[in-house]
Amino acid sequence: MKIRNEEMKVSVLALAVHFALLLTVAFPLSAHADEDEADALKHFINSVEFGALYSSQDSAKFGEYSGLEERGFYGLGGFDVRGGKGYDSEDSALRWKLNGADLGTTSRTLGGSVSDQGKWKLNLGYDELRHNITDTYQTPLQGDTGGNNFNLPENFGTINSAVTPANNPPPSTRALNPNQLFDFHTEKEYTTRRNGSVGTSYSFTPQLTGQIDYNHLDQSGAKLIGTGSQGGIDLLGGSTGRAEAVNIIMNPTNYTTDNVNAALNWVGDKGHLTGGYYGSIFHDDYNSLSWQSAQASGASACSGTNCYVNNNMSTAPSNSLHQANLTGGYAFTPVTKLAGGFSYGYNWQNDSYAPVSILQVRGNTPNPYNMMQQNGLPASSLNGQVETIHGDLKLTNQSIKDLTLSAGYKINERNNNSDSDTYNYINIANDSYTGVNTPYSNRKMQYEAAAAYRLTKGQSLTLAYEHENLKRWCNGVVGSAQCVASPSSDEDKIDLTYRLKAFENVNFNAGYIYSNRRADLDDIYLANSGNYAVRTPATSSSVLNGGNFQGFVAYPYASRNQNMGKAGVNWQVTQKLDLGLNGRYAYDDYDATLGVQNGQSAGVNVDATYSYTENNSVSAYWSWQNGQRNLRSGGTPAPAAFTVPTGIWTNNLEDNSNAVGLLTRHGGLLNGKLEIIGDFSYSLDESTYSTQVPYDPACGSTTGASALTCGTLSPINNQLISLKLTGNYKVHKNGKISLAYIYQKLNSNDYFYNGTQFGYTPSRVMPTGLQEQDYTVNVVALSYNYAFQ
Amino acid sequence: MKIIIKIIMLSGLLFASAHAENTPTTVGEAPAKSPAQAQELDRDSVCTNCHDENENKPILAIYQTAHGNKADTRTPSCQSCHGESEKHLSSKSEAPDVIFGSKKGAFAPNDAKEQNTTCLTCHDNDQKRTHWQGSAHQAADVACTSCHVSHAAHDKVRDKKTQPGVCFTCHNDQRAQVRKFSHHPIAEGKVACADCHNPHGSAGPKLLAKNTVTETCYTCHAEKRGPYLWEHQPVTEDCTNCHTPHGSNITPLLKSRAPFLCQECHDGPHRSINPVAGDAAGIQGGITSPTLPSENFTGRACMNCHSLVHGSNHPAGALLQR
Repeated sequence: MKIRNEEMKVSVLALAVHFALLLTVAFPLSAHADEDEADALKHFINSVEFGALYSSQDSAKFGEYSGLEERGFYGLGGFDVRGGKGYDSEDSALRWKLNGADLGTTSRTLGGSVSDQGKWKLNLGYDELRHNITDTYQTPLQGDTGGNNFNLPENFGTINSAVTPANNPPPSTRALNPNQLFDFHTEKEYTTRRNGSVGTSYSFTPQLTGQIDYNHLDQSGAKLIGTGSQGGIDLLGGSTGRAEAVNIIMNPTNYTTDNVNAALNWVGDKGHLTGGYYGSIFHDDYNSLSWQSAQASGASACSGTNCYVNNNMSTAPSNSLHQANLTGGYAFTPVTKLAGGFSYGYNWQNDSYAPVSILQVRGNTPNPYNMMQQNGLPASSLNGQVETIHGDLKLTNQSIKDLTLSAGYKINERNNNSDSDTYNYINIANDSYTGVNTPYSNRKMQYEAAAAYRLTKGQSLTLAYEHENLKRWCNGVVGSAQCVASPSSDEDKIDLTYRLKAFENVNFNAGYIYSNRRADLDDIYLANSGNYAVRTPATSSSVLNGGNFQGFVAYPYASRNQNMGKAGVNWQVTQKLDLGLNGRYAYDDYDATLGVQNGQSAGVNVDATYSYTENNSVSAYWSWQNGQRNLRSGGTPAPAAFTVPTGIWTNNLEDNSNAVGLLTRHGGLLNGKLEIIGDFSYSLDESTYSTQVPYDPACGSTTGASALTCGTLSPINNQLISLKLTGNYKVHKNGKISLAYIYQKLNSNDYFYNGTQFGYTPSRVMPTGLQEQDYTVNVVALSYNYAFQ
Repeated sequence: MKIIIKIIMLSGLLFASAHAENTPTTVGEAPAKSPAQAQELDRDSVCTNCHDENENKPILAIYQTAHGNKADTRTPSCQSCHGESEKHLSSKSEAPDVIFGSKKGAFAPNDAKEQNTTCLTCHDNDQKRTHWQGSAHQAADVACTSCHVSHAAHDKVRDKKTQPGVCFTCHNDQRAQVRKFSHHPIAEGKVACADCHNPHGSAGPKLLAKNTVTETCYTCHAEKRGPYLWEHQPVTEDCTNCHTPHGSNITPLLKSRAPFLCQECHDGPHRSINPVAGDAAGIQGGITSPTLPSENFTGRACMNCHSLVHGSNHPAGALLQR
């Protein structure tokens, strides 16, 4: 037994030694656990996410920017991976990261960067966005979305678009025959942007760094555009094409834009200077858009391709901008600083004009049809050149205790040196027209001075004054005609702001702005809005006053008084509870016999946030906004030249918006494993037009011609309800499952769509069947997120 | 018995080695630091001895950011921003020299000017902040930390998806506007406030990043830049003559709709002289008149024909129809 006891003793000793060894490993583990938690905070956390999402309804509006425009399943994917040296690395500050989001949708992004902090950096990025516009557009025209040529089916036949619908035997725009209705098909309207970018920066010395950024934006798709068809085109069957007949067609957005930003930055002890270049090259794959119109001026037996008018219009011209920039600042003393900048830009456009001679159907004379009168085309392109100049200087001084003074000057000029010429052509109403292009230029100079005085520790008053002078002109207009309504204006603005920290937890601010604009007016100016061939004063609606009646001033060019007031208070009730209230009101008064008379806008915002722990909170907000605009105009009966009209009418626009939001975040549930986030919002926006016609005694009737001209339109009403609930459950230390539910409902009522419906269009507008964009969508998303270091 | 002991030891070693795999290898195992770095880390440890992983706020997460990359000799220590704070080191009831933030916590934050002076020690003399002095945010006593969070791994205002939420803390009107029927994809995280604005100050109006409104818009909408053969004057001066960029009830981002929008500047020729009501609503608007609605006022109204409102480059397009 003794042997056994000795064996036991040895065994116990061995155990003790072994246990001690274990302790040397195990005990640092518990101290190591604290270090692990600290290290987890100090070192990068990477994540990878993948999952799936289901959307319950097709809706271009719901998927407008989200990429969820179709009912069905979508993949979810994202990642954020970082690496490089840790925070305490001794040999290099090299760090890199790669990230991606929304990979399963058409709004995906990818990015990456690598840098040796303080020395150099390289960025790469890719961003995609599909803007879904509508999925209810219908057209008989054949041609792909993104194309620039749209033709009618050969057997579509003619459409009688005479003025009086009662006399129109079908087919008419409101009574298409079955064959024509069959040719209509639905096209989804959308544009897609794909943006790739690369950028780098390098520090040559601690004082001198350089950087270059380049991005290439590729756009495709189309947007809808209205068109007016050419009049005076003979068709077989004894009819002519209906002038100004309207077809809504797809305008391609096949663009690329290349932007380059390059800069050299120098930093000294007292100042800094940046010299840079910005280049933007825009290219449009097309310079014209062509389509066919089947609308004729009367009944016709025409059938087949000889029933259509061939039209074209221009698209956005390719152009470029090259801009040199210089900005910098200098501190004369620690309390006196000067900052400023200068830039010069050259914008050029010389795209070939769209074809003016178009082959028309057999039977038309002459053929091809030339939109220009004889010798009416002075050039084949514009050779458009615009110089932009900017300069600014600002001096600030704080040498007097509690007083900050500043004074500044700014100038911005757009100088359009494009050629002005006379273009004699035939307009779409089939009238001879003389157009003289007027290249618009403007220069704005601003002088400002401000003083901010600290009345007491928590109280300050700021007074600012600004004077603005604006000049407008056109260079080299044919015949030296005045081309703008207001060649110059001067505006003075005073801004007073008061801030008070009433108690330690209460901040109050209030402000008032008054501005007075005096505009010089020239009501005999000749804009390119009128027919230069008809310039006799005896013609009351001639081009004088830019084609407007006497006394009418477009509001951007009218004299104006502006009054704005605002106030707000923020109260940190406790460390957990914050409350905020702010409001504003503005009133604009225009000096114009006719035109916009006045406008006002107001808003109130209420916010509350309760953070009951560091990561748990509830917040709510309410926003109300109101805007009104009052317009006065007239022209019936048409007065003599230089005479203010007597038949005056008014139009009022009122916008009302209410938005409510509630956001809650609650974590730490189920032993810290579950977090719930809720996001609810509701908004109601209404825009209402109301027209009064005092000279019409029948105004107010719902029947008769008066109903068309006076009364209140049904409001443009959009009501959006959105609810998002997300639950994040930590299944283990590095992984969590997220389950999200989204409910979104849009109720939209808009009279805009009435005139596009089959059977309800005006007599010379082809229907498109566009629908209001209501939707009710439910989305469920499930994803797994794995985090690691 | 021996077998049991071995099993216990083996388990312990396995546990320890598994844990070691998950433990970053830098702390406690890093090679010897350069003297300057060691000094910086020692300075930080004066603070991090107390402000450690048990803080409610993620203090240590700053080491994941540029502010915590010690291999960059410009990187500050805790005291570089918060001051030496001798009193605070002596007694927790005394405040550090510089406290950042806009809300009162254990101590009231320093005023915005004092906070910003600290940040501008390094971040002044920078092309992005050339116009900070005298800018709208500076004059409104906005502190850098009103928007930026330097101690968190993720600074929300520097991320396109989360940046608008930071701006909406103060800019409540825009918070409501971006959710309107017609809007830029701001709430969707594809356009951020800083894509158009420079919150640190700028020479442009309303803190726009570029010199003018039109220059800012042309950055993404270069197809509107022209110059066109036939220009529309208000377009050449200011896009906000017709558009409201944060959001509108009327698509596309319009202040008003044709024909009423056009009638604010045009009174003749053609149909801009006519008052409009039921004509715009069409037949479904309840009109029972024998006179049917007109293409001049229904649907796109003026823009049924005058559709090239941003300008036309067609020789026969003076009236912006081609």
